[in-house]
Amino acid sequence: MKLTFYKTRRFRVGVSIIVMLAAFFIMTGQYRMVRFSKDKVLTVGVFSDNYWGIHYGYANKIVDDAISRFEKEHPDVQVRYESGIMKADYSEWLSEQMMNDTMPDVFFILGDDFSVFARIGALKDLDDLIKKDASFDPSEYYKTAYDSGNYSGSQCALPYECAPNMMFVNKTILDREQIAMPSRDWTWNDFYEICRKVTKDTEGTGIINQFGTYNYTWNDAFDANSVNLFDEKGRSCDFTVREVGEAIAFLEKLEGLNSGYSVSKRDFSQGNVVFQPMLFSEYRAYKSQELSIKKYSDFEWECITMPAGPSGDNYSRLDTLSIAMSEKTTEEETAWEFMKLLTQDEEIQSEIFDYSAGISVLPSVTQSERTIKQIAEKTGTAFNPGILESAMVKTLISPRFRGYDNALEEVGIAVRSILDSKSNIQMEQIIWNRTLNNFLRSMQSENG
Amino acid sequence: MLEKAAPVRRDFDRMDQIPEMVFRILQMFNFLIILYITLLSCHALWGYVHEGTALDFLLLAGRVPPLNWVIPVSGLLFLGCLEILLSVECNNHPELVSKLILEFLVVIAISYVTGFGYTGMVVLLLADIMRYTIDWQKRAMYILAVSVFSLMMNGNVLQRWMHVIPIDVVWSYYRADHVARLLGTLNIMNMINIYVFIFYMVILVLAQMSEKERILALNNELKRANTKLEEYASESARLAETRERNRLAREIHDTLGHSLTGIITGIEACIMLMDIAPEATKEQLRAIADVARTGINDVRHSVKALHADALESMELEDALQKLIDSTIRSTGVKISMRITTDLSHFNQDEDDVIYRVVQESITNAIRHGKASEIYITIDRRDGDLHIIISDNGVGCDSVTEGFGLHHMKERLEMLGGHMEYTGNAGFTIHALIPIRWGNEN
Repeated sequence: MKLTFYKTRRFRVGVSIIVMLAAFFIMTGQYRMVRFSKDKVLTVGVFSDNYWGIHYGYANKIVDDAISRFEKEHPDVQVRYESGIMKADYSEWLSEQMMNDTMPDVFFILGDDFSVFARIGALKDLDDLIKKDASFDPSEYYKTAYDSGNYSGSQCALPYECAPNMMFVNKTILDREQIAMPSRDWTWNDFYEICRKVTKDTEGTGIINQFGTYNYTWNDAFDANSVNLFDEKGRSCDFTVREVGEAIAFLEKLEGLNSGYSVSKRDFSQGNVVFQPMLFSEYRAYKSQELSIKKYSDFEWECITMPAGPSGDNYSRLDTLSIAMSEKTTEEETAWEFMKLLTQDEEIQSEIFDYSAGISVLPSVTQSERTIKQIAEKTGTAFNPGILESAMVKTLISPRFRGYDNALEEVGIAVRSILDSKSNIQMEQIIWNRTLNNFLRSMQSENG
Repeated sequence: MLEKAAPVRRDFDRMDQIPEMVFRILQMFNFLIILYITLLSCHALWGYVHEGTALDFLLLAGRVPPLNWVIPVSGLLFLGCLEILLSVECNNHPELVSKLILEFLVVIAISYVTGFGYTGMVVLLLADIMRYTIDWQKRAMYILAVSVFSLMMNGNVLQRWMHVIPIDVVWSYYRADHVARLLGTLNIMNMINIYVFIFYMVILVLAQMSEKERILALNNELKRANTKLEEYASESARLAETRERNRLAREIHDTLGHSLTGIITGIEACIMLMDIAPEATKEQLRAIADVARTGINDVRHSVKALHADALESMELEDALQKLIDSTIRSTGVKISMRITTDLSHFNQDEDDVIYRVVQESITNAIRHGKASEIYITIDRRDGDLHIIISDNGVGCDSVTEGFGLHHMKERLEMLGGHMEYTGNAGFTIHALIPIRWGNEN
């Protein structure tokens, strides 16, 4: 009697532990590790149109080339991807894959999505792989591009393609006004002087019809003046610092030139505006002879670095398309090899200049003779490679904390309101500092 | 007393079963709640993907949820695991503690799956612990441990640390007013769970209390009985010892004393008769020889069983008659006996005492009183047996209580009786014995 009782008790404990392990196995998704097929299949998440919004018709050319090379080098691996997903749907598609537990092993990740996906833990922390891989050298990338894949201290993505924000100059106006091209290390003063000179009524109608700048935003001004608004985790911001005041004062001054006229994109495309900040990819696209877009064709234009603020430097934002590995991948090593092929192989990277509008994340490719020649040929102008290089050296990336976009929006409202109020900037800064910090706090507590 | 105990016992059995039943209900109810939560969550997660709002959900949730079917499957598996664990009985504290730790882990896992929307499984653990009969100090420790665990589950510390998507976030797939209704339902379920648990506790405590009371009552009764029994045992041991000693002394005195008295009296008569009537003397000597033989037999029997043989083989009344006849024959003393009541219902010890009282009184009357006539009356009055033996002997003014009288007294007292005697005008002994069998009717 006692023996059978003991037996059933032991049996029950055993069964419960087995059930517990099984449930744990299912809950954590470990069951996917059990595979019956010996074929290694690597899935890749790609979107079929161009990241920079420019349609060359080379849908997945670079990825296809990389895959065929990879499969040649690793005959035991099959690389697959789903084609036909557009960039606009890509984020949602990735989210759905995530929720369906069918996340591709390796996937492209849009600049805006990076922090979201990194935060929810969908991206694999690559630090261990980097440490293990002796052949991998982070300094081969542009530093800022590489850092853009960093989320709170861990490398979660590798850069694939990037484009710095640069200042585009209508050379035709400058020539007409007999103003020299600004130098690479030009400042706000130079910027303002040129704008002041060119802002005028050329047709004698009494209405200003030629302007200094379009779309030079507070964000550009803050970057140029080295404003570090938020702390690392986005818990607080310091809106009262001198740099912010200088940037707002400069924007106020700049806007003052236009006598209340709001410059539009149309003014720029008509050739009536000297400066417009623009991604380098856009420059490449529109200058490309192949596309032969006649949009900006009745004036000459050139790109230079962004102007430097009194407390900053010629900083510009860098937009990066990265590649990340799924946290749940079962093909870690293979995925890592494929990521390296896409981002570190010079041959693949140089295809960016053939089939895309951004620039390679490898300085060795971007600054090679071949590339410089190619850009010059395609844009039809004598492209000064030094400008791109110095722009890439002084690039910034957006902070990556939760709710950054919302915080940015709030700061935008603050700046707009200060600019419109025309009252004492420093007083307004103190008032808005409170509002912004309250906002950040409420956002933190809301998000946990 | 015995007839009353049976239904009470049955009532206890029923009380024992109710907590077990309520515990089952509690388990079933928890199963329903988990099913409710996990199926809704599963549907909501499926819905996000189906409707193309997966990105919005991920932004809101801030982390990747488990695959939709994983939630109900793993949730119910964990619950099954918990129920099996609850059914395992523990024999000692290490076992109970390790079981409790396992249960904690499983509860955390279930809470994780249900987005910490429901942590009511904790009451199952509490209910399970209360089933064990452990002393209150240890039980308090267990209750404290479970309470701390419960607090931990309900505070959001664990929830944050484990990066769980709260249940209301998962359910935000549904319309806001529907979510409110769904959460309200969950709340009500939670409340019902608590109420059932409270009911369970009350029933359990009641059952344990009545059980305790019963045990206490039984215990007291047992104690009383035990003391009585112990008293009895020591008394009877002491009594048996004295009785045996006295009996031995008595037997020697009674048998040998009686025979020898008869023989002496007979021989004295013979001495006087011998010259006058040799034939009568012969007859007398034969009678004396009979008495001596009976005496020897008595001694033999006494040694063998310490028991008078006359009483062994016949009824008390016949034995008495035989005693008187043999005395008359051996001594020539005139003895008359009058018995007005039935003597056949006495016990052995009573028989013995009556017989010995009569025997001793006759012996005394002949030996000390030199009586020639003895009158014996045995009758019953007011539930007592009265034995009166008087003679026409010399009597005495002051009686020195000899061995015989003393023993007679002792024997009577053992039966709750007593005796009186007087030595004026002959000697009269009045012995009184309460009648046992007569009282029962």
